[in-house]
Amino acid sequence: MTAVEVISANLDYLLLGSWPAGPLGGMALSVVIGLTAALLASLLGLAGGIVLTLGSPLLRRLVAISAALLRAIPVVMLIFWCYFLLPVLFAVDVPGTLTVIAALALIGGAFLTQAVYAGIAAIAAGQWQAGLSLGFSHWQTLRLIVLPQALRIMVPSFVNQWITLVKDTSLAYIVGVAELTFVASQVNNREQVYPLPVFATVALLYWLWCSGLVWLGARWETRYAGVGRK
Amino acid sequence: MTPPAWLGYGWLEPHFIGWMLQGAALTAWLALLVCGLATLLGVLLAAGYEQRWRSVRLAVRTFLSLHRNTPLMVQLLLWYFGVAGLLPEAVMLWLNAPHEVTLAGWTLAWPSFEFVAALIALSLYSAAFVAEEIRAGIRSVAPGQHAAALALGMTPRQVFRHIVLPQALRVVCRPLLGQYLGVIKNTSLTMAIGVAELSYSSRQVESETLLTFQAFAVATLLYLLLVLGAQLAGGRARPTLGGGR
Repeated sequence: MTAVEVISANLDYLLLGSWPAGPLGGMALSVVIGLTAALLASLLGLAGGIVLTLGSPLLRRLVAISAALLRAIPVVMLIFWCYFLLPVLFAVDVPGTLTVIAALALIGGAFLTQAVYAGIAAIAAGQWQAGLSLGFSHWQTLRLIVLPQALRIMVPSFVNQWITLVKDTSLAYIVGVAELTFVASQVNNREQVYPLPVFATVALLYWLWCSGLVWLGARWETRYAGVGRK
Repeated sequence: MTPPAWLGYGWLEPHFIGWMLQGAALTAWLALLVCGLATLLGVLLAAGYEQRWRSVRLAVRTFLSLHRNTPLMVQLLLWYFGVAGLLPEAVMLWLNAPHEVTLAGWTLAWPSFEFVAALIALSLYSAAFVAEEIRAGIRSVAPGQHAAALALGMTPRQVFRHIVLPQALRVVCRPLLGQYLGVIKNTSLTMAIGVAELSYSSRQVESETLLTFQAFAVATLLYLLLVLGAQLAGGRARPTLGGGR
């Protein structure tokens, strides 16, 4: 068989895993992990950034320290923690896919907490003063006046973090979750003959996915360029 | 004192901690080599980006896009399995066999193929990110500097080497430090191809002792020490490099 034949014979498996006969895998599972983790990380980051802005001193310190710790350790370590300890702590069998999503969401959330906090801080103090003097509460000022402007500044940070998340879904390989990278190594072990074409195909799939996000980010950035900056 | 049930009724024996310290040493060594190579290559790539020839710029852009927009894990597997498949069998046999050179009482061992593949993949991946930071630094140097140096009769290469690069590096220190910390964390992925670094050794200790919590706690602590140590060292190095502005 030529390299092209090997790839095309395994393309279904690379894209969907053993679905529909078995569980979803391959690139489809990577997309599920990536989207869920990106959504959770964005929500966590938003919540973290808001707490760092408006929370009580104790809460702020707590969030700042845990985010700093999460940013300082490798994603692989956090995946280990989630994968091997969540089942022990809760005495239930947690599927590998969920533990990877949890780890990716926590790390992504920690990086986005920083970005959201910085984005809010970049809004001119006059906006806060204007909101407060109009009789808005701190929370109302943040939600109705500051955050809509800050979110536009944060677009590049969010897109960059999503791209990092997409690439980090490949770390699920280490704990044997059947996403794209793991499935590719299975194909490679089975076929034995064309390691370079197999992994190059997988790289191309990831590249298309990430480049799509880069393109989307660039479009958003030009649309919102300069809006709400100090 | 015997620890409670959820800690597995035991503490790690010293020699297991020794394994992880060895892992941490390999992590640090690999990260150091990668930072050096990635910086060197990153500067070259950034310089290539400023070239007049379109083909050079296109080649650099392609390199950056391919390395930044694909996962490091896939790149590692590509180098480890893919390149091993391309090399002739005799070369692979030589690479997989241990080789030692003794020079004036010092024994230098040729590293394992896993280590070499990890070094290449990590260096190329990190170089793409370093290049992007340096390029941003070059863009931040006022265009007048470039024009003034050219007017003084310097060649474009001299202008880049003596005028633009030193100023760009000063701006770029902070983001570069961030990239270096990223390199330390990224070395953890090399466990997937069998490099016995810190994450790998923590898994080894975990499966040997079944003391999951302790093994990962020690490894996490060692990572924190490495990353925070590098951060501290980088913060201290900055004032000497960044003086004069």
